Amino acid sequence: MIEAPPSADISPEFSQAALGSLDDVHRFARSLARNKADADDLVQETYLRAFRSWRTFLPGSDVRRWLFAICRNVFLRSREREERFTPLEDEGGETLKAVEQHAAWRREGVEAAVWRLDLKAAVDRALTALQEPFRSAVVLVDLEDHSYDDASAILEVPVSTVKSRLFRGRRILQEHLMAFARDAGLPGTRHD
Amino acid sequence: MTDAFSHAAAAGTLNCREAMAILWDHLDGELSPEREAAMRWHLEVCRPCLEHHRFERAFLDTVAAARDADPASPALRQRVMDALRSQGLLP
Repeated sequence: MIEAPPSADISPEFSQAALGSLDDVHRFARSLARNKADADDLVQETYLRAFRSWRTFLPGSDVRRWLFAICRNVFLRSREREERFTPLEDEGGETLKAVEQHAAWRREGVEAAVWRLDLKAAVDRALTALQEPFRSAVVLVDLEDHSYDDASAILEVPVSTVKSRLFRGRRILQEHLMAFARDAGLPGTRHD
Repeated sequence: MTDAFSHAAAAGTLNCREAMAILWDHLDGELSPEREAAMRWHLEVCRPCLEHHRFERAFLDTVAAARDADPASPALRQRVMDALRSQGLLP
């Protein structure tokens, strides 16, 4: 007896929805991996795993969110080390530090200068340099426009941890951008 | 003596420290309707906090603008389809 291929079981609706999110998964993979080749490998492995385990997908739920979760898990495993990050529960403290930091930049004059720059390349570099687990949180919420709840589901951590990682990641990015403005030597900025 | 949080002792139902502690929640659209209303009221009456708000809004807009708009290449799309077919996962 000839065994039917696995594809015979896979619902066409699932295939269509999953493959329809390929651009989104690709963009997310590019933000996680540090080069194009690694990102392409990540996309391929994400889809192989998704199609092998398509029955675990709940019909009617967000296929993009599900694929992002698989993509990130593949990414973490590919790095052959699990995160060792102590969750920071004091996300309000991070926000207040950002406000104090901003006040210092205002006094220094760097804030007025930074928005005159073309920051696209600087943000790209800062995001690439941003370490996990902060980068995933920033990418999901700030670039992919996911809610805290969505990011929590994708990252498989509590919302409080998402916020801690997100807010710390934002502060690190801001420090990068302000350093970029100082290095650009704009009037109104000064080196300490 | 003033610090970054002493602009208004109490504006609406939030003082400056309380308002700034939830600034990012507000900008991310994650506050409850009651907290959102209190935040909006505070920002209307407290200019220093409004300036922090504008700075963080500009920062988040700058980060969002860095989103890569390039779609997956046809070659990558074909590679994924070929991989799925080779595993019998697509007809």
